[in-house]
Amino acid sequence: MTVVYVLLPLALLLALGFVGMFIWATRDGQFDDVRTPQLRVLFDDDPVTQTETSGEGSSGAKKERS
Amino acid sequence: MGFGGTQTSDRKTEVFCAHCGLPVPPGLVTSDGSPSFCCSGCKTVYGVIRSAGFDEFYALKAIDDDRLAAPANPKLASFGEFDEPDFVRMHTREGEGARRIDLYLEGVHCAACVWLVEKLPEMVEGVISVRLDFGRSVATVLYDPQAVELSRVARALDRIGYTPHPFRSSERRALARKEERKLLIRLGVAGAAAGNVMLLAIAMYAGAGEDPAVAQLFRWISLLITVPTVLWSGRTFFSGALAGLRAKTLHMDLPVSLAILGATASSAVHTALGQGHVYFDSVAMLMFLLLAARWAQVRALRSASDASELLFSLAPSKARLLGEDETSREVPVESIVLGQRVEVRAGESIPVDGVVEQGLSRVDNALLTGESVPVEVGEGAEVHAGANNVSARLVVRVTATGEHTRVGRLLAAVEEAQRRKAPIVRLADRVASYFVLGVLLMSGVTAAVWWGEGSQIVVERVVAMLVVTCPCALGLATPLALINALGAAARNGIFVKGPDTVEALAHIRHVMLDKTGTLTQGRVALTSFDGDAGLLESVAALEAQSSHLIARAVEEATPPGAAGRHDVQDVEEVAGGGLRGAVDGTPLVLGTAAFLRASGVDVSSTWESRMAQAAERGETPVLVASDGHVAALAAFGDPLREDSQEAVGALGRLGLSLGILSGDHPRVVQHVARALSIDGAVAQGGVSPELKLATVEKMTAEGRQTAMIGDGVNDAGALAAARVGIAVRGGAEVSLATADVFLTRPGLMPAVHLIRGCRATLRVVYRNLGISLIYNAVGATLAVAGFINPLAAAVLMPLSSLTVVLSSALARPFPRPPSAAPAIRPVTRKQEVPA
Repeated sequence: MTVVYVLLPLALLLALGFVGMFIWATRDGQFDDVRTPQLRVLFDDDPVTQTETSGEGSSGAKKERS
Repeated sequence: MGFGGTQTSDRKTEVFCAHCGLPVPPGLVTSDGSPSFCCSGCKTVYGVIRSAGFDEFYALKAIDDDRLAAPANPKLASFGEFDEPDFVRMHTREGEGARRIDLYLEGVHCAACVWLVEKLPEMVEGVISVRLDFGRSVATVLYDPQAVELSRVARALDRIGYTPHPFRSSERRALARKEERKLLIRLGVAGAAAGNVMLLAIAMYAGAGEDPAVAQLFRWISLLITVPTVLWSGRTFFSGALAGLRAKTLHMDLPVSLAILGATASSAVHTALGQGHVYFDSVAMLMFLLLAARWAQVRALRSASDASELLFSLAPSKARLLGEDETSREVPVESIVLGQRVEVRAGESIPVDGVVEQGLSRVDNALLTGESVPVEVGEGAEVHAGANNVSARLVVRVTATGEHTRVGRLLAAVEEAQRRKAPIVRLADRVASYFVLGVLLMSGVTAAVWWGEGSQIVVERVVAMLVVTCPCALGLATPLALINALGAAARNGIFVKGPDTVEALAHIRHVMLDKTGTLTQGRVALTSFDGDAGLLESVAALEAQSSHLIARAVEEATPPGAAGRHDVQDVEEVAGGGLRGAVDGTPLVLGTAAFLRASGVDVSSTWESRMAQAAERGETPVLVASDGHVAALAAFGDPLREDSQEAVGALGRLGLSLGILSGDHPRVVQHVARALSIDGAVAQGGVSPELKLATVEKMTAEGRQTAMIGDGVNDAGALAAARVGIAVRGGAEVSLATADVFLTRPGLMPAVHLIRGCRATLRVVYRNLGISLIYNAVGATLAVAGFINPLAAAVLMPLSSLTVVLSSALARPFPRPPSAAPAIRPVTRKQEVPA
């Protein structure tokens, strides 16, 4: 059972580390909006729909100046 | 692309808008296979999105949310005020070498919206990044002021269907956000402590405690974790209990604090002595559960107040300032000073109080005074901020701005009314006061029973009593039921802002209703067309030449495009009289009896009496003469909302007594009361905002639990003074600010659902309180008998909490939200999510 004298403080340190990370994340505002990130994950980085309208899309008003 | 053009549903062939997916009116369906649109707004937006190469938007659209789609409605304005130095100073801030602005976007409703909005940097040079908070529809835009004007950013957002509004974030909001984060950290720390202490406790109960040295180590470590957590995370409860004591009331936090402090102190002493029971696991778990409930409640309430504040962003923030050279430029309202002149175009709302210098128009005061019929204003007439300029351009010299306007002064009265309102004692706090007495009594009994066994046993038994009766479930009983109700209400489009509101609503016995905009639609519409129905199209064709308010009502009553099919000539409009002209060669005269006679038409007494009847109903009669003979009588009025009849009936069946308080003419009010079978004696017309407030305050003072339902600025005082104020959709922002509840779906039925739901919720609260009290009674009996040890406490307490959680979660206080018609979501999730 002597191993608990090493393991327990170690486990507690680990837990403390996670609590610290949680506090940092909260202060950073990461929990302020919990709805958008779950949607953002669905977007492809590279749009795949350019094939159909590629001519129009690239030559058109890609950078719109209104 | 995903969906667009013609799609057929199972039932009938219906065409859906290529942009928003809503059904397209038959007149607008294209026949050549090109995409159809429900409105020109959607068409514009579709064109912009396609030409920018963002077609993926339409593929992503089907990953939808529970929000309903809405047709795009770009304002196509110049957003010139966004470039004013005052505007930039007020709404943007420095950040990372660029400027940052928060914009509230109209029309955000699906995942594709997030995608499209965040693609803005690819569309407009100079925009560095955009992050959209989907839940609140607020986009944070980072842009380089050297490379792009803010107005261009705003225009680009508008063109893709999201009209931007500067988001007026207040200090108060920032503070609330900080508070919420703090509470979340407290909760997280309590959770981590509870988890770790629980692990140690389980090991102890499982047998690790048999070795005295290990047991002592575990105790010390538990103490090390629990005590700082109690002192920091538990502060919320201690300060709440102290505040309650200072106010000489027994708050729910008091028994909680007693249990936490008592158990912690005795456990610490036992740890130091190396003998006796320790309750660190129960203490940590108790704090975690209570903080979790509290945090969820704060969050549910915040989302409601967020939603109401977002609506303020929609209020007009700009005015067209007229310079010396008669050119106008858009500036923020806040930068206008007295004596300047502003231009108000037709259809815009008036930004300031002032005197008309130029122009002749009608002004719609529905939100300000409750009058359903717009009044004529000319040179020298006074106009007020918040009113709507209906028919023609006005130039107004500013006499008051901001809080000095009539609306601003009314707001001061509203704040006064809110201050006077007595706080209600919550049910849970009433129970808590008895509970504290009960616990103290039971502790006394326990001490008496074990008195002979020596002081150590007595202390042990009393602490066991405190721990086992710790009102964990009691503390959860109300918040959990409330969170469930608030969430369900929000899904139904009902936002409840105050924590006491649900309880107050369940006790409501009287409901006072506003008329204009609440029971009625608050706009002029064709209510009846008595005579040759075939003439209506000709009338519409003629009225299309006029900018009069009635012309718009006729246009709405006829199918789109119908008026354009007729040949209209020789149109002549006489202010205050009517309109004449020739439609398809037939002379047509519209207007008052006098105007018709002046035009050479003979008006018989039958028609005259019909006109009188319409006027008696509070409507505006317009005679129609075709080819020299009176052919029809059109009546215009403010029609009832579709569900008013049903809602009023349902409110009556709930046992509520109803009354009407309206600023409109008593005759009109009586007619509406009769139509809704409300007793005419309780339907008051011609009531000033101050009188509304006084009436409701008097009812409340007499102890009658009164709810006020209204929409206008004139209702704001009454909404604030009532036990519960309910603002309906489309109301003035002042009324939204003061009401405890606001409805985002049209009509009154949501209010009925709300009252029913609140009553159901209160029943759940009672049930929860009952369950937790039974657990406490059992626990207390066991404690008196000496059967409670830390293990029994650790089992009994979570069990009681779990029962309460289940009891709350199973309750269904509101009807399921109306599911969207298949037309709105033509493609299912499974098919559409790109692989």
